[in-house]
Order: sequence, then structure tokens, then C-alpha cells
Amino acid sequence: MHETNWGLLIVVYLFLGGLSAGLFFASGLANYLKVDDKPAYARVARMGALLAPWPVAIGSGLLILDLGNWYRFYKLFMHFRWESPMSIGSWLLTIFTVVAFLYLYSWLSEDERKWIFGKIPASWKQVHRLNVDISGWRETLGMIGFPFSIGVGIYTGVLLGAVSSRPFWNTNLVAQMFLFSALSSGAAALLLAMVLDKKNPIEKHETKFLVTLDVVFISLELFIILPYLIHGELSTQAVKEALNLILGGPFTFIFWGPFLILGLLVPLGIEVYELFPAIFKGREFHGNRNLALTAAGLVLMGGFLLRYIFVYAGQMSSFHSKMGLLQ
Amino acid sequence: MAMKKKRYALVIDSRKCLNCKACVVACKAENKVPVGHFRNRINEERKGEYPTLSINFEPEQCHHCDQPSCVRVCPTGASWQRKDGIVLVNYDECIGCRYCMIACPYDARYFNEEEGVVDKCTFCVQRVDKGEVPACVETCPSKVRVFGDLEDPKSRIRELLATRRYKVKEPQTGNGPQLYYLL
Repeated sequence: MHETNWGLLIVVYLFLGGLSAGLFFASGLANYLKVDDKPAYARVARMGALLAPWPVAIGSGLLILDLGNWYRFYKLFMHFRWESPMSIGSWLLTIFTVVAFLYLYSWLSEDERKWIFGKIPASWKQVHRLNVDISGWRETLGMIGFPFSIGVGIYTGVLLGAVSSRPFWNTNLVAQMFLFSALSSGAAALLLAMVLDKKNPIEKHETKFLVTLDVVFISLELFIILPYLIHGELSTQAVKEALNLILGGPFTFIFWGPFLILGLLVPLGIEVYELFPAIFKGREFHGNRNLALTAAGLVLMGGFLLRYIFVYAGQMSSFHSKMGLLQ
Repeated sequence: MAMKKKRYALVIDSRKCLNCKACVVACKAENKVPVGHFRNRINEERKGEYPTLSINFEPEQCHHCDQPSCVRVCPTGASWQRKDGIVLVNYDECIGCRYCMIACPYDARYFNEEEGVVDKCTFCVQRVDKGEVPACVETCPSKVRVFGDLEDPKSRIRELLATRRYKVKEPQTGNGPQLYYLL
């Protein structure tokens, strides 16, 4: 059997990269939707903006640590190779992180900026020049960041999907699957953070917005996973054998149990149950705090497990005939 | 004098293979391959039970593909291909991301933990450039391996491929592998 070259660090990185993309997307969308020329979900947008850059920054750090020669990571930026998903991805990731940090900065209040710059010695005059109000750029930064956040979400899937030698990955559905999983985990993380923030209790219309967003993304993800399985079963022998890893192989339980049922169907059920009366019966949205927390937590777990299953199972799949190495 | 175009390849007559592993040892000695890693190997395939039993030994190493997927995915260009088809790793440019190992359909690469770089069969470029053959080819006692230039019409490798039936492994990956297994 093929050894695994990419381990848990890569799984965590793919998850965190996707999480940032999802957070940014949800925040940008919340800022874009307007009622009477005012953002309808300004607090959601702010929370998303404050959280978005951190996961990807941590994830990139882990990625660098996973390299054989971590200090050579700068070489990624000495080249641009459009044929290599990793080369495109590292540029995309860098630009996205910069935009996400600028976006965060644009959401800071004057007091918060004062507090941050208060930590910097007064003699560093050049640094203090950066203490400017860029809240007017919010919309522009959000717009610039949208395509990059989607790009980062897709890229984590393309990194795997573009490898023609691993039939488990090499389908045109993996990129979308990872994108929608990323966007749903971003919405879920935002919901989790908003509900847990007791100083500014979440309002019902905000919960409803995030839950709706999550239902849409989870549904889209489900509509990708089903064709992935069906299409794979109708595909060539190598792809069928690869799919056996989750249909009767070592990853069967974790795929169907913790990932598909607990990580997708259960939170989808909870969120639909929450939304149902509001949409179909014209009653008030439930907005149950514990249900929101459960659903969000499960979605995050599902997002992580999806990456775990794909990174490990994909590396085990190959076109190799079943010849073993002689001991 | 203008340089003639070259395309190195390897023909393997696996029916002659005894599984003595002299090629594996010669490669390790020639290229100072670290303990625990190999640049070539011998796959074994058993069919049936005694007394209707057959066993097939099949040496394998880097296929030095025509369209190598390892070179395509490398983010820094450390994996590269010479004009004569030999696929190499530029160790100074390799950051050790191991994307190439994942992209290789033949599992021909290994990770050198000590140096933090990926390594693989080089067709013994240091010997080939002097006009010699790779160490595994030279040492093989049953002459399983024939190394040569596909562009040279008078070469033994051209003659074998013109007169014998052969296969390549997993051509469906589109890599264009250049290890030819005689049938």
C-alpha cells in the first residue's frame, strides 16, 4: 500500500484555509446585504471580519512547518508555475490573507485602533502613521476579497482534485465539494462565535441569516457528494476501487457515521427544523441557542472530517495493479 | 558538431528476472541512497496455488515519463526534465512539500528526511553523461535491463521495441511512461 506523505497538519491546514474563506464570504455577504441603505447584518459582518484572517494565517504557518525545509518556503514566491495548483494556491492564499487582514482593520473602531497602537512605542513614528481610518474601504475590500475567498475555498479542493494519479481525488466534483464545505463551516463558525459572545447577545434575525446561509451551503454540499458517489460507481475500475475505501473499506464508518450523518444530515435537520415555521407557516423563527450551538459544532466537525477522509483515503488510492513489494 | 536529440529509456525483460536484487544494491551503492529508502524495487506477483503456481518478478523504478505529473505539480520547478527525457530533482530548489510523491502514479519517489528533500532514480546521470549505462543495468546478472537512446536507430533498445511485444504500466494516467516491459 502507498504510504501517506501528507498527514494531519495538511488536514488541519485545508480545514483552516477553508474556514477563513467561509468566514470572509459570510462577512462580505452580510455587509453587502442592505436594508434602507444600511447593512442589515453589520454585527455579523464585523464578527466575520474579525475572525476571518486568523485561521488561514495559522494554517499557512502549519503548512510551512510541514515542509521538509521550512525555511525554503520563500521559494514558493520566487516562481509562478500556472500548471502547479500549489504554486497558484500559495499566491492566492497570500493575497487573500492580506486582503482579509486589511478588511479586519477596516472594521476596527477608533478606540480599538488606539488600543493597538498604544502598545507600540511612540518613537516608532512610521508605524503610527498607519493609524488611519479605512472604514470607508469596507465595501471595496469585501468586493475584492469575494473572488479570493471563493478561490481559496476552491483551491483546497483543486490541490487534491488535480492529481491525476489518485482516482479518489481526480474528479471534477472535489473542488466544489470542498468549496461548499468551506463556506458552510465559515457560516457555522460565525454562528458559533456570535452565540457564544455573551456581551453582545445575538439577535434572532442574525441567527436566521446565518442558519439560512448554512442550510444553503450544506444542501449544495450534499448535492455534490451524492453525484460524487454515483458518478464514481459508474466510472472506471480504478475509481470504483478507490470509492471502496468509503464503501466497504477502512473509511466507511467515519464517512457515513460521523461525517455524513452527524456532520451534515443532523445539522441540516436541526437548521431546517429551526427555519421551517418561519418560512412555511409565517411564524416567528425559533432561534434556539442550544440547537444553534449543536448544529454549528457538528458542521465544523463535519468539515474537518471531510478533509481528513479525503487526504488519507486519497493517498491510499492509486492506479497501481495489486503487485506487492517482495519482503 | 550539433548535438543529436536523445531520449533515454529502459527496456525490461521481466521474465529473465531472478529477484536477486543486485540492481537494488548496485543503485544504493552508486547513489548513496539512505538506509530505509530505495530508488528501485522488484514487485512480486503470485498466481495460483501449488502445483499450478506462477510467480512473476517485475523490477520498477522511476519511469522517466514523457509528460511527468511530478514535474507538472511541483510549485518551485525543483522537479524538472532534461531534454533527453531524464526526470531529476534540483535539491537546492526542493522545499519538501511532497506534492510530487503524491502526484507520481508509480510511487517512484521517496522523502529524504535528513535533507528534507524528495529524491528518486536519476537513471544514474553521472554515469550516463560519461557514456556509461546506469548501475542497475550494468550489474544485472541475467541481463533483464537494456538502457538506451530511443532516438538512435541503431540502438539495441530500438531493435527490441521494433521486434518484440511490450507493455508500459498504467498508460491511462497519461504520463507517457518510458519503462518498457517485454512480454
